[in-house]
Amino acid sequence: MASAAITAPAETPRVGVRRWLADHPYAAYAIRRTALFVLTLWGALTVTFLFFHLIPGDPITAFIATLEQQNIYGVEAGKEAIEHYKELFGLNGSLFDQYVFYLRQLLITRDLGPSLINFPTPAQVAIYRALPWTIGLLGLSVIISWVFGVALGAFAGLRRNTAASQWLTNVAISLSHVPNYLIAVILVFIFAYRLAWFPPTAAYDPHYEKAFTLEFIGSVIQHGFLPALSLVIVFTCRDLLSTRTLIVPTLGDDYLTFAEAKGLRRGHVIRQYALRNCYLPLITGIAIQLGFVVSGNVIVENIFNYPGIGNLLVQAIRTLDYNTIQGVVAMITFMVLLANLVIDLALPFLDPRVKYWR
Amino acid sequence: MPRGFVSLWRSSGKVRFGLTVIVAMVVLALLSEPIAARIGNGKDPLEITAYQPWLVPSAAHPLGTDRYGRDLLAMTVKGLASSLEVGVIAGICATVFGIVVGFVAGYKGGWIDSTLATITDMFLVVPTLPILLTMSAYMRNITLFHVAVIIGAFAWPFAARTLRSQVLTLRSRPYVDLARTTKMNDVEIIFQELVPNLLPYIGVGFATSTLGAIFALVGIEVIGFGPTDVIDLGMMVNWAITWGALSLGAWPIFVAPIFVLSLLLLAILLVNIGLEETYNPRLRQVAGA
Repeated sequence: MASAAITAPAETPRVGVRRWLADHPYAAYAIRRTALFVLTLWGALTVTFLFFHLIPGDPITAFIATLEQQNIYGVEAGKEAIEHYKELFGLNGSLFDQYVFYLRQLLITRDLGPSLINFPTPAQVAIYRALPWTIGLLGLSVIISWVFGVALGAFAGLRRNTAASQWLTNVAISLSHVPNYLIAVILVFIFAYRLAWFPPTAAYDPHYEKAFTLEFIGSVIQHGFLPALSLVIVFTCRDLLSTRTLIVPTLGDDYLTFAEAKGLRRGHVIRQYALRNCYLPLITGIAIQLGFVVSGNVIVENIFNYPGIGNLLVQAIRTLDYNTIQGVVAMITFMVLLANLVIDLALPFLDPRVKYWR
Repeated sequence: MPRGFVSLWRSSGKVRFGLTVIVAMVVLALLSEPIAARIGNGKDPLEITAYQPWLVPSAAHPLGTDRYGRDLLAMTVKGLASSLEVGVIAGICATVFGIVVGFVAGYKGGWIDSTLATITDMFLVVPTLPILLTMSAYMRNITLFHVAVIIGAFAWPFAARTLRSQVLTLRSRPYVDLARTTKMNDVEIIFQELVPNLLPYIGVGFATSTLGAIFALVGIEVIGFGPTDVIDLGMMVNWAITWGALSLGAWPIFVAPIFVLSLLLLAILLVNIGLEETYNPRLRQVAGA
């Protein structure tokens, strides 16, 4: 698209916006990438909308069915009542009207309408309350496993002919694709019930005030340990394998030999020279896996009854809380896409070799 | 292609181990009825109150019994059969759709490619599990077949993406050009020239989507949504959680399905790694142990 100014043919003078974009390739890249983000977000939200509205037996039909069944004292729920709810939940009019209502709700008013779990609190309040737990759990797990994974992967790659490294690699291969919720089940059994080291459910002890006190934070860490561990085990194994795969081919390279010949310490050479080339694929790897991570986390949160967004979704589905379901799915989509956008925009800063202008 | 299969079998120990495990599991699943009959010795071992509830493992019941006195070994074999069935149905749906989209996009190129690739990417970023959960929770009288088709409908983008990138590397090869100059039409070229050359990738794509579907169903069932009248591996894990087997210490009901699922996963993974090493020798001794 916008090529660098140097290579632009002299006979096509660029003026105004095009000129500016050609002079600022990163800005051009950022604008293009953000536009793609908006387009993909719109596409993903539309796909979700269509799935919820077109498949027979969708939540809306089910919801209206329960409304119609609510016969109080033998009197059928009045037509007006059902109409009122339909109005409230944006279920009136043609499919296109509903679509417009849905997008307006999500993007412009950012008011999802009343939730059913605790009517008439708006659904977004429940979502905002659950969001920090999920982001905290996932974020910490990803960072911790990244550190362990890179360290162990470097070890496995450097000492790849030792028995320890081969065992490590084999264990990592076996565990790297096991769904984290199955690991969670085993962890709950061993550490929460057999050994009773950690609590099996909840995110904190309700005896403590929700405040930044040592007791409360300690309780949060103790409760979050097992869910985080189930995520960390899988991510660590994946990062270990990718680091190992990435570091082995670089080992014979001249720049490493040169660095060692300069008399740099071995640890320094590995950290600053060999591993630096592995970070980028690992970061993009996180971006690609994020969708799965969030999905797997829904089940883990459910097993531990963790008050995050995944658990909220499951509760909402159980109570036919359509507004909350829709909001959570949109929120998850938004988070995944946003994380991808941030990583893509950060990549040129992290690695100067990335060519973002085409 | 028997010769291809022999060379695949000879290629590495990983492939041999993986294929052996997969074949053994399929045979077990096909024989699940006779095995259940053999365990039951005349009566149905999966009938409610067939035996005492929560029996510990013994010679008669190698994995003990569950809350309703059903034999857990028979249940595991039966569960494996149902899980594989769902996986294969969903895997076929995903692979067929993935082949069509991937091959058309990769072969035709141009705006068709960019449109299809964008749509594929959109499906890739939609978090599928929440949608699957919602749909399986709301569809009345849902059967395993329905779930399999729904899962398959969400699993195709991966296959499509992999195949597209492979087709891109093949479409300008001389033999494809040759086929084009002999006036073969696009459908003929795709199915007679391209598909046979990409069979290993299609196979891997099928195995991966099958596995993904099995785990998607397990995930749905662990939470407690999905068909309730069937016995499969995910239901066993769900029962372990909801019946308090974890706190009771009744380990076979969740250890057995998790072990079987992990073994299946490892087998497919090893075949994948083996194939990768065979078809991409640069990776030999680098990927995997």
